Amino acid sequence: MPTSPTDPGGAGASAGAPRPRRADLDPRGPRFGAGITAVLLLVVVFLSLIGASAAALSLLAGLAVLFAWGAFAGAGRHPWGLLFKRFVRPRLAPPTALENPAPPTFAQGVGLLVTLVGVVLGLAGLAPAVGIAAAAAFIAAFLNAVFDYCLGCQLFLLLVRAGLLGRGPRDAR
Amino acid sequence: MDPLLALGGVLALVAAATLLGLAWRARQDRYTTVVEAPALTPADLASTVSFGADATLVQFSTEHCARCPGTRTMLANVARSRPGVVHIEVDLTHRADLARRFQVLQTPTTLILDRSGRVRERVGGAPHRAGIIAHLDTLPGSLHANLPH
Repeated sequence: MPTSPTDPGGAGASAGAPRPRRADLDPRGPRFGAGITAVLLLVVVFLSLIGASAAALSLLAGLAVLFAWGAFAGAGRHPWGLLFKRFVRPRLAPPTALENPAPPTFAQGVGLLVTLVGVVLGLAGLAPAVGIAAAAAFIAAFLNAVFDYCLGCQLFLLLVRAGLLGRGPRDAR
Repeated sequence: MDPLLALGGVLALVAAATLLGLAWRARQDRYTTVVEAPALTPADLASTVSFGADATLVQFSTEHCARCPGTRTMLANVARSRPGVVHIEVDLTHRADLARRFQVLQTPTTLILDRSGRVRERVGGAPHRAGIIAHLDTLPGSLHANLPH
């Protein structure tokens, strides 16, 4: 599902070698992982809808742990990422460009927040919250996997605009 | 809930997410023509780089932007290949004021400025090289075709 080699004219094909950074990622890795996560989140939604609340809650808690792993250890060390490196990437053509791991890592943190809210509310006895949190996280993971949409990038910019992230001059308009 | 009904709910969720994705994709690489914009200076963009003699490509990025590095490479390449065109990348991470002033809602967002520093075009999302070139060619007074070497 790589979307990459569409750029006509081959930007940077000749002398314009992109500066290499150390821990850059094959952008297909996080997308592959988001696909697995999306399917599992869909299972949570299904379990929650048929009333299997305990199973839904346990699976969502497991996914929250995985999000925490990605958020704290970095998107490059996520279990799905290791799966991708071991089994998927050797079968693919080399990536046309590498990506900064910061956005997918930030997105893992957002996923952690959403799933954690679902788990906490579920533990507090609010069973529908598990399904709702899973549905919200599913939409983000699905858009990431299928459309290469970067929710982390979007939220980061909006948080910067709201003045909650980054530091700007105080005389901002 | 009946499992069949639940399955229907799950499929509806997938359908809704697909529609969202299609709507988002349709808005990528879309140009908006800006009319009557005031002339900008490099200081307006907190940039120390002078504008291009013919055009300037202003790219808004953040530190958390998956597609900004690719767009940077592409736009810098366009600027290198066209004399009179300069590429300026503005990191909004520490400049929320600029993000608000230029109403940047996604990264990358690219502005095409003409020779006087007025914004002529605005494109959200990762643009394609061909689109940038085509819009540079339509700038008034574009000398690209008959530049002396």
